[in-house]
Amino acid sequence: MDKTKFRSMLQGVLVLAAIALCSGLLLGFFNMITYVDPLQSAYDRFSEDTGATFSKMTDAEGQTIGDGKVVYYAVSDDGQVHAFLAEGKGFQGGTVQVYLYVQDGVISKAGYGEVDTSQTYIDRVKDAKLLESFVGSEVSSLNALSADTVSGATGSSKGVLNAVNAAVEYYKEHVGGENNG
Amino acid sequence: MDKRKIKETLLGGLIKNNPTFVLVLGTCPTIAMTTSLFQAFAMGVATTFVLIFSNLFVSLLRGVIPDKVRIPCYIVIISTFVIIVQMVMRRFLPELYTTMQAFIALIVVNCIILARAESFASCNKPLYSMLDGVSMGLGFTCALCLIGIVREFFAGGSFAGFAIPGFPVMQGAGASAFGFITFGCMMALFNFVMQKINERKERIKRSVLPLADQLEEVK
Repeated sequence: MDKTKFRSMLQGVLVLAAIALCSGLLLGFFNMITYVDPLQSAYDRFSEDTGATFSKMTDAEGQTIGDGKVVYYAVSDDGQVHAFLAEGKGFQGGTVQVYLYVQDGVISKAGYGEVDTSQTYIDRVKDAKLLESFVGSEVSSLNALSADTVSGATGSSKGVLNAVNAAVEYYKEHVGGENNG
Repeated sequence: MDKRKIKETLLGGLIKNNPTFVLVLGTCPTIAMTTSLFQAFAMGVATTFVLIFSNLFVSLLRGVIPDKVRIPCYIVIISTFVIIVQMVMRRFLPELYTTMQAFIALIVVNCIILARAESFASCNKPLYSMLDGVSMGLGFTCALCLIGIVREFFAGGSFAGFAIPGFPVMQGAGASAFGFITFGCMMALFNFVMQKINERKERIKRSVLPLADQLEEVK
């Protein structure tokens, strides 16, 4: 290979590598400043939604149930509120996160968390108040997967239903179902 | 420091070389992010930030970056600042970030930024390059906001999120097709006004010229 050509090629690669390295360092610094601890973020949202205090996560590992997953589960310090952050697989496998709160065996409140960008019709699901329709339901007798999906947004609706189902089944299994609820 | 060049650079992006209405660059975010004034403004500010810093760094490194790898280098620099914008928005404006995240990431390939890096910052001093970024960014933000005001007014019957009572909402005005029509109409209006201003300037210049000639003769 021509020596001059090799030198110019090497110079190009080195400059590009140096710029990429500096860029990485700068991004690392900004990541340190702007990093949001997902666990702390969940605590904050639980407290904000319910007004109760949550000082420790009962289950920070979570559990996969069907096409849904309980990401975090916590009980309020007074033991009254069971808070869930659950996610469900929706359109093209993208996820929909929901916050679900259970008080005395009844869903007391529900709200949306992060929604994958692939769920382009999630606004239709939100407008149809699919998640809100579960508020007031008895957990022990609830079958979230049998609920009707929103027309024109079936995939995203399934994401919501899978998330609610994961939280409900987790509650039945670990906290209180038909027998001990 | 050349004051005239500073003035030209600052006003160039705002009016004479407005990236949206004159250069017709960045059409994708112009259509996608102008459904409301707030979104348009946020997109404009994010793009301005990236423009200023990418221009500055491209200009600072213009003597170091070899010609053959200049485009990959520009892309690395631009994407670094786009990721910083993403991180900051995600931390401090999570709701806005959720609605805009796909388009914020696409700033990397926004042709305004790449065009300014290639045509201006790579051959000008850092200060002028930064000023060019400010000017182009402000021009882009103003254009987006103007289109955003019109689209939000027709599609939602509101201004900056505040409902205007009694105004009937136009069905379909939020669609991209209406966005293109609004964009086209505003571009035509902008260029028409600019043409009239230039013609007026020419007329004034011509009326003043005989006096200038006389002055030359006296001298």
